[in-house]
Amino acid sequence: MKNINFFVAAIALAVTSCTIDKTDYEAEIRTEVIEHINFEEVVSISENDYQISIEALNGTFYKGYNEIRVNISNTQTNEDLSTSDVTFLPLVTNYNGNNSSCPHQYSLDYNTAENYYDGYVVFTNISNDSEQWKLYMSFTDNGETYAVTQNILVEEQVNKNLNMTTFTANDGEQYFIALVAPQQPKIAENELVAGIYKYNQPTNEPGTFPDPSQFSYTAVSDYTLLLDPRMPEPSMGNHSSPNNEDLTQQDDGLYYGVVNYTMTGNWTLNFRLQNQFGAIIKGTEVSTEFTPGVEGARSELHIDILF
Amino acid sequence: MRFNTLFIVLFVGLFSTAQNTKKKKDSIIALDEVQLITMIKKKIETDMKMAVSVDEFLASSDNISFIKRGAFAWEPLLNNMSSERSTITIDGMHVFGACTDKMDPITSYVESNNLDAIDIKSGQEGNMHGATVAGSIDLKRKSTPFNLPKKWNGAYQTGFEFNNKQFFNLANASYSSDKFVADGSLAYRKAENYSDGNDDEVAHSQFTKFNASLGLAYKTSDLSSVKVEAIYDEAKDVGYPALPMDLWLSRALITSATYKQLFEEGLVRAWDTKVYFNAIEHYMDDTTRPENLVHMDMPGWSTTYGLLSNINLQSNKLSSEIQLNAYNNLSTAEMRMYPQDRSERTMFAYSWPAVTTTFAGLSINNAWEISDQSLLNFGGSLGVNYNHSKYVEFNWIFHPGTPQEKTRLLPSLHAGYELNINKFDFSVGGGYGHRVPSVSEGYGYYIYNSFDRYDYIGNPDLKNEISYEGNASAGFTDNKLSIQAKVNYFYIQNYIIGRILSLGSPMNYQSVGVKGYTSLDYSTLFNFSLNGSYSILNNLHWKGTLTYARGQDDNGNNLPFIRPLSYQTALHYKYNRFNFQTSINGDLEQINYSPEYGEDQTPQYTMWNLSADYTFRIAAYRTVVQVGAENILNEYYSTYADWGNIPRMGRNIFTSLKFNF
Ligand SMILES: [Cu+2]
Repeated sequence: MKNINFFVAAIALAVTSCTIDKTDYEAEIRTEVIEHINFEEVVSISENDYQISIEALNGTFYKGYNEIRVNISNTQTNEDLSTSDVTFLPLVTNYNGNNSSCPHQYSLDYNTAENYYDGYVVFTNISNDSEQWKLYMSFTDNGETYAVTQNILVEEQVNKNLNMTTFTANDGEQYFIALVAPQQPKIAENELVAGIYKYNQPTNEPGTFPDPSQFSYTAVSDYTLLLDPRMPEPSMGNHSSPNNEDLTQQDDGLYYGVVNYTMTGNWTLNFRLQNQFGAIIKGTEVSTEFTPGVEGARSELHIDILF
Repeated sequence: MRFNTLFIVLFVGLFSTAQNTKKKKDSIIALDEVQLITMIKKKIETDMKMAVSVDEFLASSDNISFIKRGAFAWEPLLNNMSSERSTITIDGMHVFGACTDKMDPITSYVESNNLDAIDIKSGQEGNMHGATVAGSIDLKRKSTPFNLPKKWNGAYQTGFEFNNKQFFNLANASYSSDKFVADGSLAYRKAENYSDGNDDEVAHSQFTKFNASLGLAYKTSDLSSVKVEAIYDEAKDVGYPALPMDLWLSRALITSATYKQLFEEGLVRAWDTKVYFNAIEHYMDDTTRPENLVHMDMPGWSTTYGLLSNINLQSNKLSSEIQLNAYNNLSTAEMRMYPQDRSERTMFAYSWPAVTTTFAGLSINNAWEISDQSLLNFGGSLGVNYNHSKYVEFNWIFHPGTPQEKTRLLPSLHAGYELNINKFDFSVGGGYGHRVPSVSEGYGYYIYNSFDRYDYIGNPDLKNEISYEGNASAGFTDNKLSIQAKVNYFYIQNYIIGRILSLGSPMNYQSVGVKGYTSLDYSTLFNFSLNGSYSILNNLHWKGTLTYARGQDDNGNNLPFIRPLSYQTALHYKYNRFNFQTSINGDLEQINYSPEYGEDQTPQYTMWNLSADYTFRIAAYRTVVQVGAENILNEYYSTYADWGNIPRMGRNIFTSLKFNF
């Protein structure tokens, strides 16, 4: 009997634990891709009796798309401004001293429900020794206009799901595509959100610096971003997924589509940009062939993601 | 491969219920396995070979064929239908394999020395343990009865098979007393690669398997007992030459506790209740295949909890069996592909996205002795099946918006009439039943099928498969001659099979495309078998079997894995303590093959086998020694069901030695 008992105990011990643990894939993605959901203060500026606070996700300006929330309060009355005209202009100065900007919302909207001024900015490069970003803002209160400037730091976006790309299309215009969501994709149908912007060539001579007409960008309207997601890894043989939907513009100005990721890893979002007249102005159609061992050829317009 | 064993009919199964019922009735009081409407017990050995694997033993039944992916763990096909269409249980317990590539049919988790018999039922007669279309295969474990004089029993068997250098050791022992019974077994097999008929080694066909089982029973009163049982099975370093991967490790723990109560009089004669738990882990390995473009890990897990409760009722002419089945299974399988640059992020997905299956069903089967000559079997079952996919977002990729949960109702009905007139017996029967799509068919995700080289996607919205079946048999038996013909026909509505999808692209680099499980309007399947035996002399016997099957889809195209016309013929001669057996078996050319489903035509083959054994005593122990050869002519062949046309084993000389204590 003792032997038998021992035998049973040994068996029980041997098998009640798995040799290799199951994967919690959601937890794995969470550690691989950090999702930021909290808006935190990036900079705070004092101007006369006013305090300006700018918030962004994770309290950081990243290269790519950033939603910004601005709060301006009167330090004397301790009241927040809600009827001010707030303007927002990011400029980068390169080593030659030339100024340029990036897609941004110049006049911020007031969000009455949440009590802040709302806008976005798509930084096109990170701050470094030769390129410094500076914010030029103005706001009004009691008929007076106040202008402030503030040096800011733009950091690298480590989350490739928020990558962006800049290009000149066949129509000669300069475009920007920045991914907005999902920050943390799933192996699933994901709603893919992107901002598509265009640089408006100035038509007039520059006025007093900073002249916003020289740094004007707008979200393009009624374009379509054709989507073909594929895995570039050679062994995946140009693998794609079914049931994807091209991105079209919704009321908030952003472009919404559906991307299906069939597994984690590196994916390329192959795009073709189609203007409001149905003409493809950038991007090449990629092969749909399954080619094991060969790295998938990317569209000339694409963004790589990873999750 | 050993088709040599096929020549005999070991299981009378479907059409032999009458004799059984009578035989068993008198012994109801004995505290033994009580099986009123069922089966014949038989030693787990074939006529040709006394030391067989479970697969070889199953192969000796004429309604079982196999899909073979190597030398180990063959997938049993019942009535020419794949394993998701049959319920395969161990003592009524549901166990579900953990491999998306079907490397581990349930039959691979037992050993011949812990089994007592295998109960095969065709079609809806097999609904006792749950919903089915093809029938049921119940692996009956050894169970020593309580015995007043204390008694030890045991057997040890060892042997060697020359072709693949398989060395095996099988030991089992039992102790029985008035109050207490213990059964135990140990088995270890280790085989290297086998060689085909051209004497070429078939790479990746080795295996190692260890199996241990233990059963302890205690008599709680004159008419009741409790029993706890466990099987531990471990297969390691198993090659699957037909697949792009091998098995690193597979482990199963199969446990149960049973309470049995007998009643001396009254309507209820026996009541068995069993709770069970089993867990399987399965880890594939492709590091043995450096030619693979991608290294991937593909682990799988399957855990099942279950309950079954069985009541035997007995009145004058009617005996009934009522069984409640309930179980809950969680099947999870993963794939993780490694990019060529290993510093890059791996690519992960679930091939079974943590799918729960919960089933509860009640089955009733009755045998009504209308007269001394005739018997009516009838029964039915009703089950509720619930599926839940934890990571339903995987299923949404191909089936947007499909519900995470699905509940299905699974009815089943059958009836059969048997008539014995003098030396003739006849039977006719019919059945109706539903089955639920398997985890792979419902929820599988990019499961690579190396047979047709497609990645398979499950469809949670598949309808139940609905089977309408008819069967008949006729036989004649006298002292010298026995002959029996059986036919059955299945009309299966919503027949589930993979069809090419125009969506998506393969994930596995060997694939050529993506297939989705879809329902055909219907399919039909016809099975025929003819068995005969004749005693030429007192000690010289002949046996023969002929089987034919045909399966077609709703367009008249052939279904895959349907056995061509096959035959076995065998002679057995006994001289003193010697036994000699020889057999010839084979399949004819596969005429009705299915290019639509990845098949090519398989040529005919013929196999000749021979064996001899001698029984003697060493001290008081009965000892049997056997020597034999399979595929004596060293024919190079593969069968219609050899995955990827891998060649089967060439000439194999086997030896074994068995001591009985
Ligand atoms: Cu496997």
